[in-house]
Amino acid sequence: MDFAQLLNAVAFGSLLMILSSGLAMIYGLRGVTNFAHGALYMAGAYLAYSVTQHLSFWWALLIVPLALAVLGAVLELVFFRRLQGRSPIEVGLVTFGLAMVLERVIVLIWGERTLSVNAPAGLDGTTSLFGTHYPTYRLLVIGIALVMAVALVWWLRASRTGLHIRAASHDVETSSVMGIDVDRVSLVVVCLGAALAGLAGTLAAPYVSVDPGMGVGILINVLIVVVIGGVGSIGGAMVAGMALGLVQTMGSVLLPSYSVLVPYAALVAVLLWRPAGLAGKRLS
Amino acid sequence: MTDTTTRRPPAVSEPAAGGENAGRKRWIRGGAVAAAVLLAGFAVPHLGLDSYYMGLVLSGVILALLSLSIGFLARRLGLISLGHTAFFGGSAYALGIAITHWGWSPMPAALFAFSAGTLLALLMGVLVVRASGMGFLMLTLALGQALYQFSTQAVARPYTGAYDGLQLQLGPDDTFLGMTSPQLMDAGLFWPVAWVALVVSAVALWAAGRSRFGTVLEGIRENEERMRFSGYNTFAPRLAAFVLSGAVASLGGVLFALNAAYVSPEVLSFVKAGDSLIATIVGGMGTLLGPVVGALLYTYAQARFNVSGNLPLYTGGALVLVLLFLPGGVLGGLEALRRRLPFLPAGKKDRT
Repeated sequence: MDFAQLLNAVAFGSLLMILSSGLAMIYGLRGVTNFAHGALYMAGAYLAYSVTQHLSFWWALLIVPLALAVLGAVLELVFFRRLQGRSPIEVGLVTFGLAMVLERVIVLIWGERTLSVNAPAGLDGTTSLFGTHYPTYRLLVIGIALVMAVALVWWLRASRTGLHIRAASHDVETSSVMGIDVDRVSLVVVCLGAALAGLAGTLAAPYVSVDPGMGVGILINVLIVVVIGGVGSIGGAMVAGMALGLVQTMGSVLLPSYSVLVPYAALVAVLLWRPAGLAGKRLS
Repeated sequence: MTDTTTRRPPAVSEPAAGGENAGRKRWIRGGAVAAAVLLAGFAVPHLGLDSYYMGLVLSGVILALLSLSIGFLARRLGLISLGHTAFFGGSAYALGIAITHWGWSPMPAALFAFSAGTLLALLMGVLVVRASGMGFLMLTLALGQALYQFSTQAVARPYTGAYDGLQLQLGPDDTFLGMTSPQLMDAGLFWPVAWVALVVSAVALWAAGRSRFGTVLEGIRENEERMRFSGYNTFAPRLAAFVLSGAVASLGGVLFALNAAYVSPEVLSFVKAGDSLIATIVGGMGTLLGPVVGALLYTYAQARFNVSGNLPLYTGGALVLVLLFLPGGVLGGLEALRRRLPFLPAGKKDRT
């Protein structure tokens, strides 16, 4: 595997990392496996397309996560809060239905064709790194993802809200008895999770094809990442996201005809070895 | 089966009152209902449906086998599978491969395909039945998806045709139950085969649920740990239920491939798994017939609304609305309505 492939792997891993941490956060706090996460990512990419048509890519990077946060608020206030106390499976299936609806609505708005988004001016060239020419834009993706990951971990560790989030994802009832406003914390988390999906969609738009299948395609990868990382563990999701990006790219270099099976093989292997995932609580 | 009630351990609640006699009566009544339904079904091709609607009802009944199998696991064990298309599609492909690539005649090919699907359920079951809830859902999703991805790869292409699909090539002398290929593709002629398969599967699942085995499953669903502490091996019954439901899905796949004479990766896809799960939920997961009703509704909706490509919008929306407002599905809703209106005839439905 040469250096360019390694960087590709890291770029793909970075996207998975952003998406998976959002999904893991929502699961940790709401107990909801959000099957609509892929559709949110897709919405992010399509919105990014529209914003870059009128303003610049940098605006998209700001506006799209905000718009998705609003969508997250709707998800939390209209659905998750109503469904509190129902079985996690039922709530998961509701998000499954929401994903189908959202994906179709996106197609109705933007059409079935594949769209392309240009990388921002100045970053659409290549950079020479250790003798390899590499698309500058992908370096930006890696950079933003790393900054996001560090910021998120720091925020969860150092801020008061982060403390509340961590407490509530360990034990919702005890935290609310201790005076944490769990409803407010949940709202913050679901909005943030959706915003992260929007960020990932925006970052992905210039280098993957923006098409109606992108949501389902990535969702399965993200679910695998979250299960490998340990359901509900944000740190586990980040590590597993990067690891899966690497493993998958390595698989396509070493075993090209079986590369699509690599994520599934990784999942089954990890679960047989550690049923709860790398850093997870009991899987149930 | 009637003497088992007395040996049932205290950990499991006895669902029906009335002792052995009532138990025997229930079995007899169940058998009579099944026989009547079976006979009534044979009239369907003579109702004057045109070939379009006949084809629609037939594909509804074939899809119902898949929904029935998913519903059985959900009802008996509380396990929601997104990977049952592996057995449905897997057996469909096995049939196609045996006929087209190996030149087998349809009957042995069908038996082989059914066994292959069931064997796949056994292999997958060993990996997944220890998990429960979300873990089970994800594992089945991942394994089913893995098979789908595999079927489209270059290595599998000589057998599956990848995205082009696999055309079944039957010679003019090859028959299945006396039917040649064009006759198999005729919905009216193929109907009795599919109908018998559906009724027999439904009765088998009903009987399994009503037996001692079913009671053990119910115990595992309610409290797995307690069952283990009561001295039960909980792995084997779970696996058996998984394989049984996989076998029903495989039967559906065999019939699908015989009738369509064409298999494409679509039958293995996560989307189809999701659709049949939604059909099951919308129809009503809590009853034996709910999934059948759901599959028929889904097939109708597919024909009616998919012209504009908006079917996912409606199915997704229906799923959300049913889960929010009608947790028992359509049949559960009808049942609740009946309870509220006491002048309607009392339902004879057992809890199955």
